[in-house]
Amino acid sequence: MDRRTFLKIFGSGVAGATTGNLLSPGRSFAKGDLSGQEFNGILVDTTRCIGCRRCEKACAEVNGLPIPDISESKNEDVLKEPRNTSDTQYTVITKYETEKGTIFVPKRCMHCNQPGCAAACLVKAMKKRPTGHVTWDSNCIGCRLCMISCPFDIPKFEYNKAMPRIQKCNLCYERFKKGELPGCVEACPTGALMSGSRRQILEEGKRRISDNPDKYVDHIYGEYEVGGTSHLYLSAVPFEQIGFRKDLGTVAYPEYSTGFLFAVPFIFVLWPLAMLGINRATKKSKEDEGHHEEHHNEKGKH
Amino acid sequence: MAGEKLNLVDVVPEKQEGPSFKRISDFIDFIKKELKPRGNIATPFNLISLPIMLLGYVLIVLRLAYGLGQPITNLNQQYPWGLWIGFDVVTGVAFAGGAYVLCFIVYILRVEKYHAIIRATVLNGFLAYLFYAGAIVLDIGRWWNIYNPMIGNDFGVNAVMFLVAWHFFLYMLAELVEFSPAIAEWLGLRRLRKILGIMTLGAVVFGITLSTLHQSGLGALMMMAKSKIHPLWYTEFIPILYFVSSIFAGLSMVIFEGSITHKVFSYQVDASHHEHYNDILVGLARICSVAMFGYFFLKVLLVVHEHAVQYINSPMGYWWLFEVIGFILVPCFLFASGAQQRNMAMIKFAAIITMVGIILNRLNYTFLAYNWYVPLSEKYWPSWIELIITASIILTEVWAFRWMVNRMPVLKAPPAWAVEKEH
Amino acid sequence: MDELFTYYDMFASKGPEYLIIIGFFIVIVAFWTFVNMSTER
Ligand code: SF4
Ligand code: SF4
Repeated sequence: MDRRTFLKIFGSGVAGATTGNLLSPGRSFAKGDLSGQEFNGILVDTTRCIGCRRCEKACAEVNGLPIPDISESKNEDVLKEPRNTSDTQYTVITKYETEKGTIFVPKRCMHCNQPGCAAACLVKAMKKRPTGHVTWDSNCIGCRLCMISCPFDIPKFEYNKAMPRIQKCNLCYERFKKGELPGCVEACPTGALMSGSRRQILEEGKRRISDNPDKYVDHIYGEYEVGGTSHLYLSAVPFEQIGFRKDLGTVAYPEYSTGFLFAVPFIFVLWPLAMLGINRATKKSKEDEGHHEEHHNEKGKH
Repeated sequence: MAGEKLNLVDVVPEKQEGPSFKRISDFIDFIKKELKPRGNIATPFNLISLPIMLLGYVLIVLRLAYGLGQPITNLNQQYPWGLWIGFDVVTGVAFAGGAYVLCFIVYILRVEKYHAIIRATVLNGFLAYLFYAGAIVLDIGRWWNIYNPMIGNDFGVNAVMFLVAWHFFLYMLAELVEFSPAIAEWLGLRRLRKILGIMTLGAVVFGITLSTLHQSGLGALMMMAKSKIHPLWYTEFIPILYFVSSIFAGLSMVIFEGSITHKVFSYQVDASHHEHYNDILVGLARICSVAMFGYFFLKVLLVVHEHAVQYINSPMGYWWLFEVIGFILVPCFLFASGAQQRNMAMIKFAAIITMVGIILNRLNYTFLAYNWYVPLSEKYWPSWIELIITASIILTEVWAFRWMVNRMPVLKAPPAWAVEKEH
Repeated sequence: MDELFTYYDMFASKGPEYLIIIGFFIVIVAFWTFVNMSTER
């Protein structure tokens, strides 16, 4: 092995160790591109969505889920109800009646920049990939804390299976590795979905807003929400009218658990010393000790 | 029956090494003999509990075979956590907190007064972890993977749950070490008894540290449910609330459990101890009262701190007041005046109210005040199967506790050879 | 959007908190006396 290769391997090993499992705190996600990669995501322009549900069908095909019937008559029926992703649907279209008429909104995992789900997972089954994809793996133990920790209520659990999985959109991670577009983006006939690096789609979103200030509200949902998400939304009406929560704040969700987690090492150092100290301080001095033993023996006898 | 048992203990000091096991078969025979039930089997308690337990075991098998869905549990996508985690694990662990509090009082502060109940409490704590925290195997969906966080597939060091899982495991070991002298005395293993006795302080120090962290860690699990837990309950200081409440939750359990065991096993305890025991209860009641007094003010301060005062005048607000006044302030007062008048009934009553309050509090975080905006009709309520399995786990714990108390020196005095030097 | 950038006084609760603390100090005197009082013995 010549020196060059050695350095390369060694270098990547070190980089792997520092960016990999043990040493990288959740915070490094914020920097986003430790590996020189950018987060990828999808820009959803709700003004362009016509509610055809072709993304739902494409998603089901790509991920081996039950294929939905998306004929027009069926759509009308299905869209009457308020909808949510489920353990058999990674993405759903929801219909909202708003001040600007009917609006269709595709819902799915937001692929948060710093996901609560991944920070909650004790086996790193939920993982934020350096490419921005939040994926689930089968080493999961099924504790369902990711469901509790997701601000958007996205991960779904297969309650009715003996060997259940957590089900959610993974931004077509496998297809991405092959250089293909996400299934839904490929299927969308109107360009309501646009995939790209987060930087690109954010720029595109801002451009659309500034080009048509009357058409859009001046806000990209996901730019700052919960510390930023890789899935971004444009809307013609205020976001609370199309089912988005406005009370989630801009703090990345994992930050809420850092107060506790960062205190742990301090307690591990301070508590034992404090207790050993008290234990020593309450020890009876030599003269008392004889008395103490006596007393003790007596107690032991009965 | 009692004589037979004492026999075993009395024989021990005469011999060099206790019920010496020259061959493995001796040991097996001894265990076989000890495994046999003693005394009357057809007691009312047995007759009621056995069918529940058996039904529970059948249902456990069904749960493992068919998963968590209906009709086994009522869990759904909106309520991922229900009775099994909320009560069995989170509340069960809070109730087991008496062990670390008493260890602190007895081994660190050296308040000898409480020494008499330390073994029963530690045993209870250990069994609570074994069974209630063990109930997590039923709740986690992919239970065959449960060892993954232990073997590094993968170490999710960023997760509070990772910490809690490891702490459960390590704390069970620490409590086993704390209790093990009693097991060594039972088996008559003198040399081992000596070594284990020396290890006690280390186990206690380590155990208290772990307890501090995972009692509060259970609260920290809910930190990222910020948008789902009602603002009256959600605060960034949930871990501290959990830690403080585990002190009086654990001690209330000690009072409750102790008053039952002292009745049931009263033949194992002599009269002078019974008198002494009332002193212990009064002391514990005082500690509970003070801890609850502090906890009450923390609760009030945090509502102000979280700018949540405006929610008080709403249905959830009344629920909060119900919990804080009815289950913190009232028992706090009952404990104090019970201690003052040496009124044991009042103290025990206060302990029971406190325990109900802790159950409510923990369930508030896991499902009652969780997703509080969901209409009542869509809320999660435990299914009867969840209840039966929970009951059968508790009863199994009681049976295990009874078995050990009947055989090991838990309530009764340790054999003379073991007494010379404690701690 | 607008709500994200409105002024929010995060220390608004500090005043009432300190008042509660003062109340706590007053009550604790009575409480401590009560807890440590023992009637018959
Ligand atoms: S939306 Fe939920 S599931 Fe998706 S990355 Fe964010 S926290 Fe995870
Ligand atoms: S359910 Fe699975 S993926 Fe979700 S937090 Fe638990 S172990 Fe991780």
